[in-house]
Amino acid sequence: MRHTKSMIAAGAIAVAGAAATLPGTASAASICFAFQDLETEFWVAGHTAITRTLEEAGHTVIERNANEDANRQLEQVRDCIAQGVDGVIIIPQDGESAVTIVNEAQDNDVPIAVFNRPPSDLSNGIIVVADNASIASQAVDFLAQEAIANRQGDEKLTPLIIVGDLGDPNAIGRKDGFYEAINRYPDDFNTPIEVASEWDAATALANLEAAVTANPDIDLLFTSSDFLFPTIRSVFEPRGMWKQRGEDGHVIMGGLDGDATACQLLKEGYIDATGVQDLYFEAEAALNAILSAIEAGEAQPNEVIEDPGFALTSANLAEREMDMWGCVLLSEGFLDN
Amino acid sequence: MTDTPKDRLTGFIARHGTIVMFLLIVLVFGTQAPNFLGPDNLANIIKQASFIGIAAIGMVFVLLTAGIDLSVGSVMYLGPLIAGFAMRDFGVGVAGGLLVAVAAGAIMGAINAFLIVYLRIIPFIVTLSTLFFFRGFGAWLTSSRQFDFPDEIRAFGLSSVMGIPTPILFFVAIAAIAHVVLSRTTFGRQVYAIGNDPAAAEKAGISTWRVKAGVYIICSTLAALSGFILIAQIGRLDTGFGEGREFDVIAAAVLGGASLFGGIGTAFSAVIGATMIQAVKTGLVFTGVSLYLQPMLQGLIIFVAVFLDSFRASQLEMLQRRFIRPL
Repeated sequence: MRHTKSMIAAGAIAVAGAAATLPGTASAASICFAFQDLETEFWVAGHTAITRTLEEAGHTVIERNANEDANRQLEQVRDCIAQGVDGVIIIPQDGESAVTIVNEAQDNDVPIAVFNRPPSDLSNGIIVVADNASIASQAVDFLAQEAIANRQGDEKLTPLIIVGDLGDPNAIGRKDGFYEAINRYPDDFNTPIEVASEWDAATALANLEAAVTANPDIDLLFTSSDFLFPTIRSVFEPRGMWKQRGEDGHVIMGGLDGDATACQLLKEGYIDATGVQDLYFEAEAALNAILSAIEAGEAQPNEVIEDPGFALTSANLAEREMDMWGCVLLSEGFLDN
Repeated sequence: MTDTPKDRLTGFIARHGTIVMFLLIVLVFGTQAPNFLGPDNLANIIKQASFIGIAAIGMVFVLLTAGIDLSVGSVMYLGPLIAGFAMRDFGVGVAGGLLVAVAAGAIMGAINAFLIVYLRIIPFIVTLSTLFFFRGFGAWLTSSRQFDFPDEIRAFGLSSVMGIPTPILFFVAIAAIAHVVLSRTTFGRQVYAIGNDPAAAEKAGISTWRVKAGVYIICSTLAALSGFILIAQIGRLDTGFGEGREFDVIAAAVLGGASLFGGIGTAFSAVIGATMIQAVKTGLVFTGVSLYLQPMLQGLIIFVAVFLDSFRASQLEMLQRRFIRPL
């Protein structure tokens, strides 16, 4: 796989940052890493950062891929516990199943950390979570100001949001952040158009095409995940709406995740901003917390670690580009298939 | 005995209930959002329906033999993925890629057929297993990562001929070919015969194993083709692509009038079923229905359509009943 080289490089960056700060456990720990799937750049990069960092520090990693099946993930975690692992890190399928899995681990006195996708109940386990609402709000606020600044005439602007899976707390947080920002400008925006994606490119394609046919005059688009930009392009391009900044017909556009595709599109001028989750901070925080708990013999550590994130925009691209994990991957050739 | 206008109307609705239901749905959404009936949107509905519709046409072949294929969603993913590798690593063009996807689909169908026909394992179990196997194989090939296709594939996916988008052309062509195969060929008649009474079909000298193998190969081939046509519009294949789509495909076929018990259904039924589902989805977007309500309304409308269809079938049966003496 040509991706491997760039992923190793990305992992190495995470190792360089995190390995030095990992708690020095007396003996190598056995960590079960159960993830729901690796379907987007964010999950792939997060998986690489976690596994390589643990392996570099001499720990044993037992990986389990649930292929987007919450019940299977629960069984996999039970299996890991039966094998006697020292700790569990999960990327859950959804907020509800995460609660069950966290309780299962804690009932068996195994410390557990949840990476990025939070349980619906944050009181149990080590929860590392991006402040999705705040990150989305920062990105959308920039988009809103750009749209208002570029407005021709006095008419209200029409915003559109592509919403993620309604069972995913991250998707809800991003939707809330979008509305928080848009509602700051009540005189400038019409009621937003909502498009369901269910985190599925084919669903997003069909629904966005319908929404754009019904409302051809969209002024601002926010996608709840950067992985949908290729889908947006396939809807916008034939309609002459896929334009770079400065070109006539450019739709002010942004997303959230901070992946390599978003970085490239931001540099090329097709999009204007993206909310960035600090993936390497989140990976490092999860590892530090779980290894500290193991070292301290703490069986039920409870802690919420929040990633404040930031918005990478066309205005701060030059200064903050390399703070975004997707731009790091891009510079390593991640998109050179 | 002469039919009254009411009888004639009842008879017409009973015979063409699915189409009447479809037109009713289109009209209801059209009154709520007038531009729903615009030519751009109607073309868009058919274009978006082509993805599920092409696969549903293949599913009709399987359902006609009283079989089932749960692996179509995974075939939609793996077929285009193999084509993508051929395009990227061996420099195969778009047309070649399409052929590779179709060939890969045929091979996956042949695997299903071998297990079902030769080893005599029930289709539900076989295709449930291959659902996981095909997706797992694809995930292994990509290490669960997204796969970016060469740029030229999007030029194909977004192209049109005389203003008609390529996906619609494929949809129409596949539907026409399937219709001819099912209604005008020996193979088609044998498919219906097996679905109606497999024992009688065998006694009549029909090579049932050959026909059954054929329908599973056709089903997977069309699933791979539908996946390739959709991916050609986006240019990127994610690991989750096609997941759960087997239910959409089966729903489209059944909604159009195909029976899960075999022997009933046409290529046209898959076309109308897929288009009806897409019309409902698009209509809900056009009318700005809350995202939380959309899945519930979709389910409700599909349920009502199937319920009315079963009512229609019973009415039709009653109308066609012959009595010894007038009532």
